[in-house]
Amino acid sequence: MQTKIKTILAIFVLFVSASSCDDYLDLRPQDGIVRDEFWKTKEDIQAAVIGIYSSLLNSPPGVDDFSMTQYLFMHGELRGGMVVEGVFATEDERDILETNVLPSNALTDWSIFYRTINYCNTVIDLAPAVKNEDPTLTQDQLNHFVSEALAIRAYMYFTLARTFKDVPLKLTATLSDKDNFQIPVSKQADVFAQVIKDLKLAEEYAVEDYGNNASNKGRITKYTINTMQADVYLWTESYQEALDATKKVINSGKYKLVESNNSATWFNTIYSNGNSSEGIFEFQYTSANTGPFYSIFFQRPQFKAYSLMMDEVYGYDVNDPIGRRDVRGNYASLFGATGEIIKFTRFDGGELKQLQDSNTHWFVYRYSDVLLMQAEALARLGQGKDAITIITDLRLKRWALDETDMSPGEGDTNGIIDFILAERAREFAFEGKRWYDVLRIARANNYERKQLLIDLAIATAPVDKQQSIIAKLKDPNSHYLPINTNELFTNKALVQNPFYK
Amino acid sequence: MKKLLRLPSLLKLALVFLTALVFQNCTQVEIKQTTDETLNITEYLRANQDYSMFLEILDITNYASFMNTYGTYTMFLPTNEAVKQYLKDVGANSLKDVPLADLQNIAKLHILDARINTTLFTDGKIATPTMYGQYLITGAANINGVSSITINKTANIVASNLELGNGVVHVIDKVLRVADKTLAQTIEADVNLSLFTEVLKATGWYDKLNQPLTYDASKIGSHLTVLAQTNDVFTKAGFNSLADLKARYSKSTDPMNPADSLNLFVQYHVVPQLNYLADLATTPVFVTKAPLEVISSKLIKDVIYLNRDVFNGILEEGVPILRAPSDVTTSNGVLHYVDGHFTIKKRLPSPVYFDVCDQPEFAANVANYRKSTGASFGIPPGGFADITWTGSKTYTLDWNNYGGAVNGDLIRATRFRTGSGGLNDIEYKTPVIIKGRYKIWVSYRAHASGSSNTKVFFNGEQTSRILNMKEFPNDPSVVATGIVDRVYESQGYKRHIFPFVKGDAMVSRLVGIVEVTTTGRHLIKFNTDAGTSSGSADADRIDLIEFRPVDIDQIWPKFKKGIKTGIKDPNGDANGDGLIQREEATKGDNSNSGY
Repeated sequence: MQTKIKTILAIFVLFVSASSCDDYLDLRPQDGIVRDEFWKTKEDIQAAVIGIYSSLLNSPPGVDDFSMTQYLFMHGELRGGMVVEGVFATEDERDILETNVLPSNALTDWSIFYRTINYCNTVIDLAPAVKNEDPTLTQDQLNHFVSEALAIRAYMYFTLARTFKDVPLKLTATLSDKDNFQIPVSKQADVFAQVIKDLKLAEEYAVEDYGNNASNKGRITKYTINTMQADVYLWTESYQEALDATKKVINSGKYKLVESNNSATWFNTIYSNGNSSEGIFEFQYTSANTGPFYSIFFQRPQFKAYSLMMDEVYGYDVNDPIGRRDVRGNYASLFGATGEIIKFTRFDGGELKQLQDSNTHWFVYRYSDVLLMQAEALARLGQGKDAITIITDLRLKRWALDETDMSPGEGDTNGIIDFILAERAREFAFEGKRWYDVLRIARANNYERKQLLIDLAIATAPVDKQQSIIAKLKDPNSHYLPINTNELFTNKALVQNPFYK
Repeated sequence: MKKLLRLPSLLKLALVFLTALVFQNCTQVEIKQTTDETLNITEYLRANQDYSMFLEILDITNYASFMNTYGTYTMFLPTNEAVKQYLKDVGANSLKDVPLADLQNIAKLHILDARINTTLFTDGKIATPTMYGQYLITGAANINGVSSITINKTANIVASNLELGNGVVHVIDKVLRVADKTLAQTIEADVNLSLFTEVLKATGWYDKLNQPLTYDASKIGSHLTVLAQTNDVFTKAGFNSLADLKARYSKSTDPMNPADSLNLFVQYHVVPQLNYLADLATTPVFVTKAPLEVISSKLIKDVIYLNRDVFNGILEEGVPILRAPSDVTTSNGVLHYVDGHFTIKKRLPSPVYFDVCDQPEFAANVANYRKSTGASFGIPPGGFADITWTGSKTYTLDWNNYGGAVNGDLIRATRFRTGSGGLNDIEYKTPVIIKGRYKIWVSYRAHASGSSNTKVFFNGEQTSRILNMKEFPNDPSVVATGIVDRVYESQGYKRHIFPFVKGDAMVSRLVGIVEVTTTGRHLIKFNTDAGTSSGSADADRIDLIEFRPVDIDQIWPKFKKGIKTGIKDPNGDANGDGLIQREEATKGDNSNSGY
């Protein structure tokens, strides 16, 4: 009897210990997919790529931060002199408006850019292996996906280098905690070089047409890449390359300026509806996934237009302010009367989009940008006449007032560049471009036009800080934001921009 | 012992265990008693070798323990190199050789009793004085392409905003020095100001500018601001010596007499209180030591101009301030340099026609402002630089398009009432008015629901008459009741628009005679007693406030209604200036020959 019990007991113990490796002890997340289950089919890659775009629209759940759009707006406009603080501007926003930035300023947080960069890196690193798993994935399809990721990563680094100057280059996916996070900064020029390299490869792999309009405007195409190239080349002062890139877009024949005799139609086509014939790359906000604009421009306005926008940027006709006006100005970019920025919140004539319908896109590149970049490249290459032809044509189609025609001579390169800068202010008001435009032109040719930035400060700085701001702006390092204090704590390899001592 | 060994094994075990426990229990558990490990300022200095010399100063002066107490301080912390340089400058070998009092002053000059981050810095002084009493001035400078924030124009900040337990620390590369020279001594020390110094001595002002700082009962210091002219400036204006100046100005031949013009010249260059350039850039008018004479200041682009004003439509250029040498802190004030000779201007009182809609904030609304088709629009409290009011936090003061008024507009309060349901005590800053005696006429558009008892205050003093905006103008075309202009004026009214249009209901009321004591901008305020009942004060619209010197014609010139076009009109406004002189009015009101 004793032996029998012992035997049974032994068998039982054996049974339990042998069966314990079963997978009821294997924990897997119930609300997500782990990596070794993903990256099996081309649909997985597609989902990951769409995820990249999605990260541009709004932050993922659980991340309590501004959206990418809001950062692009603030980095591009706050220091550009066309935006002033609204009633609900935060302290941090106000400090940047007044060129009074400390590394502790929350707006210098760049994590949102690196988050998207990591999504791109993940696709670039892991997508090629899917070919072994999914025989239906063609090399072409794979290339297309990689092209999209490369281009967006390039745009992220381009924006970072224009905003922070020297930034860390992370070109591989961060897949585990064992990765090295202590990466030093790369020089701005090296970042630009990497962007150019990525865009070149992306162009090789690129899609020309997705077969539907929304994808052609909302995803990266060959022409988006060419447009980005033109932009980067203007920054690196490679004007011939910039010109060539713009020609590729223009010669494709896929884009044309929206023209209309009716200002409301014009506005609705380009802005309220979006994806117009002049859209090149737009963040595709929808009613289901709305942008930040309703809140920051209307409901609790953090930003308003500079009070002299109408006077100094668009001009106005005293005798016929409604009938004879620049179509881009009053009732399009802003309400001249109140300074409310309406480009992203309203239909023309001022009818407000409701909160739940606030689906106006964010316009990264429009065709007019390509045209004006071409004009800039031409002017720099000494072909002033062609540059002026482009500007004149654009002005005609935008009902620009004669009062704002600076009519520079064909040989007057700086005059033409000034004209382009002024035209860009009118064309891209509040589209996150102003500061970068002024900075690009000021820094060209070894900061030949530094005075542009100082004039900007004289016109817009608070009077009791004006002199300090001018002195600060004379230091080129001050044109870039500092690395956020938190980043310096966590990444000891980083070195702060010397201006922020 | 044997007994113990004989105990059952279980008990033995327990005994051993308990014995072991006794020995084990003696270790103490560490309990963390602080919630924050941020160092206080002195502790921070002790932990950082780079600042050991300033710490030594604090130790010698016994301020070290003080800087370790809780509070909100700002410390400008010189590096060791800076302190060594300071020792070299004062010719001492070690800090022990420097007199204790000097070290105490130095230490106190580097500490502020408030937490000031660099984001609060302006082009002028830090609002909180140092423990020593002197103010520090902030700014920024670019040296060889590198910009730094500067303190007192000499020290650069090398590390900023170090947040510590009891304050914030900014590291600087030079020791800040106490300004120990008075204004007079500072001026005398500058060879370029030799003539100015002579003038000061001749007028007795040298001694006045040499007085040490004192504080009155309300702790306001006796600081002065001097606007000095260099010898070059005097030469350019034709004055090469004191004799030249005396010959030109000193009519009484006794420059020590405060009424003498040369003495007044100096008085006009001295402004009470501490005014750094940032203050000059933000404050439009300063009272000077010359009785009732003011200096205006204006920032255009990046140049500060003094006395750049428009008088009677003519721009007087004014004199610019030389920025680079200015902002010199002295023990009893601040010294600036001006790039031009300026004196008190004798001006005769001249009329000021103040269209209350002449506000830059209105003008910024280019789509509507002074457009015949412009829609009325409002600006909420705090929106105007030159108009303030009490009451509702949201109600607006509106630009109101009205073709019957001067310049085609009126200013309209959204409910001119008492309490939070309306606007009240609406105070306007006037354009520059030259000192003298004036009659104030307030022109308005009469309305049955206007407020009937509006009190007017000029510089805080109530004028003699009360405005009743329910009162309509007298119609001169009605034979039975019409009152001619002169009689109407004697009753305290006038029809300020020519030609008079009855339907426009525009009328002007004399509210009183005032003595304007200083040339400059003044305040005029409107107050009502009207309560909260609707309909009682919803239609108060002011067109124009006229300040006419008492000795000129109070009726003519009149005004043309509507937006100023500049078009010449032979039947009224012959020269197109919007004003209609008596002789331009070839026909009377209502086209009758009433004049």
